[in-house]
Amino acid sequence: MAHITIEYIIMVPVLILQIFLFPLTASLLMNVWVDSRRTLALREAASHIGSTIQQVYFSLNHITVPAGTVTQKLGVPPFIENRPYTGNATLKPVLDPALNSSKVLEITFRLGTIGTAVTTSVVLGQNFEWRESTFVSNSTNACILAEKFVNGTIRLYFGG
Amino acid sequence: MAGSTIDHLISVIVFLGALLVFISLFNQMIQTAILYQRHRYLATKCSDLLDNILLNPGIPADWGKNSTRTLCGFGLQDPEFTQYRLSPFSLMRLLSSSGEKVYYSRTGEWYSNVSWGIGGGYFLLQESECINYSLASKLLGINGTYGFQLAITPTVNVSIVEDKNVASYLRLNITVMGQGSPLAGASVDYLMFWMDSSEPVRNSTRTDSLGFAYLDFNGANGLPRIEVSQNKTAYMFIAKASLGGLHGIGYLSREIVTKAGNIIPFVENYGNGTVGTVLLAHKWGKNDPGPGDSQAALFFNATFYVLPDSFSPIKNVTVEGHVTYGERLDYYPLQIPTSQVGYLVVTYWTGREYGMVVMPWGIGTIGFSVVFGGDPSGQEWVVTDVRQVLVGDIAYQARLALWSLEGYGVVG
Repeated sequence: MAHITIEYIIMVPVLILQIFLFPLTASLLMNVWVDSRRTLALREAASHIGSTIQQVYFSLNHITVPAGTVTQKLGVPPFIENRPYTGNATLKPVLDPALNSSKVLEITFRLGTIGTAVTTSVVLGQNFEWRESTFVSNSTNACILAEKFVNGTIRLYFGG
Repeated sequence: MAGSTIDHLISVIVFLGALLVFISLFNQMIQTAILYQRHRYLATKCSDLLDNILLNPGIPADWGKNSTRTLCGFGLQDPEFTQYRLSPFSLMRLLSSSGEKVYYSRTGEWYSNVSWGIGGGYFLLQESECINYSLASKLLGINGTYGFQLAITPTVNVSIVEDKNVASYLRLNITVMGQGSPLAGASVDYLMFWMDSSEPVRNSTRTDSLGFAYLDFNGANGLPRIEVSQNKTAYMFIAKASLGGLHGIGYLSREIVTKAGNIIPFVENYGNGTVGTVLLAHKWGKNDPGPGDSQAALFFNATFYVLPDSFSPIKNVTVEGHVTYGERLDYYPLQIPTSQVGYLVVTYWTGREYGMVVMPWGIGTIGFSVVFGGDPSGQEWVVTDVRQVLVGDIAYQARLALWSLEGYGVVG
């Protein structure tokens, strides 16, 4: 009787539990991997866009470049794991005296509705201005637009 | 009954064991995949960062040759703004991480050491004039997240040595190497600044199949006879090798420490963008004179040559004088214009002993290398990226090594 109790009351539920335990563990581990992959992919895109903003700004900042407008297409994927992502930027005051008269543009990217978010910072010069705009990765016109004014001010914003 | 219970127990244990093995292996695989992705991301970051550094001149654009302007954007591109062409002056202002800093007791200042007497060439810039690693990291927006080291080295290595087997006159052996292989058939233009000649001797030769050439200064073939035994003369030799549009440059200056020491040029500042100040310092190598050293006057002749791309130097500033250790004249301040690149050639002598040193004015005029930034050794994972760049018309390689400062975590 004791053996039957052990076998049917304890062991069978344990075995049934294990049937669920195995896929649950696999799923948990996969989630860690997928989250990490998405975050890294988003960081890569964010870093590349930040770098592009910096390069566009520095290109226009040269004295030989006249006033005008420039459109820069971005070489980033429109989707990450089949999800579009969006970006917003804020021009922050510089608190570090070592950065002298620079400005820091903080760009935050969010992946679809998942909530994965990353932030990247770009150091730019004093004549930089940022126009409030949103980057939408799957927009056909996703780009960076840059305007250089006669007084040397350079204004950038996301297009599309 | 007991047998079936044991079966169950064993199966549970085996199943748990299998589960643990699965978790362990699966986790390891995932870790490897995540690490791979992080490393790939780091590589992309490295490439972007290198382009950011090399494709913008910084803010202000002329920060390389103007001490009074505050740097608020880090970049090394030539202000003339031509693709991967770097500013020879901005490169000079990077705090060198390849050589130990040098303290000069007479000014009480530390100097960044790009070159201390390598082949008789010096480049020492006062530390307060240099852009340090921390400021560059902050201006690049990577402070605290990434470490980097930037190395700018010549693509073509022109090595010049005296042939010690020839005693009666000076023979110079020139070896021209590309990236790992000799440059055969390269044209070598050279300039010989000899103290007995008011103008440099200019001529050319060609390397053989091993990238090798030699020159005999024996009074034949239009070359002067030069005898360097007992330090009774001095020279500075510069060779520019060219092959298929690729240019490299090398030098050799006959530096000696005379009985009354030698002269070492220290760059004090770049002034306001028009002239820089160089101190011609009376030294005994790296040390101050010992009790047995002569503290007699050391005479010098310093000439600054502007070097256009045509490789025909133009004499710009010449001064003569003497320095005497321990007196007010233990260094001589000299002003050099910052409008053009060139090099300063200093001949010094006491009695019948002569020596010569050279200092570039703009990295590239005599093929110096610059190493700037942190130390990648001991870092967990370091990625490197390379660009071929020009400094003046000399081919250089810009290599950026980048690593995460947050261990496995790579942040954006």
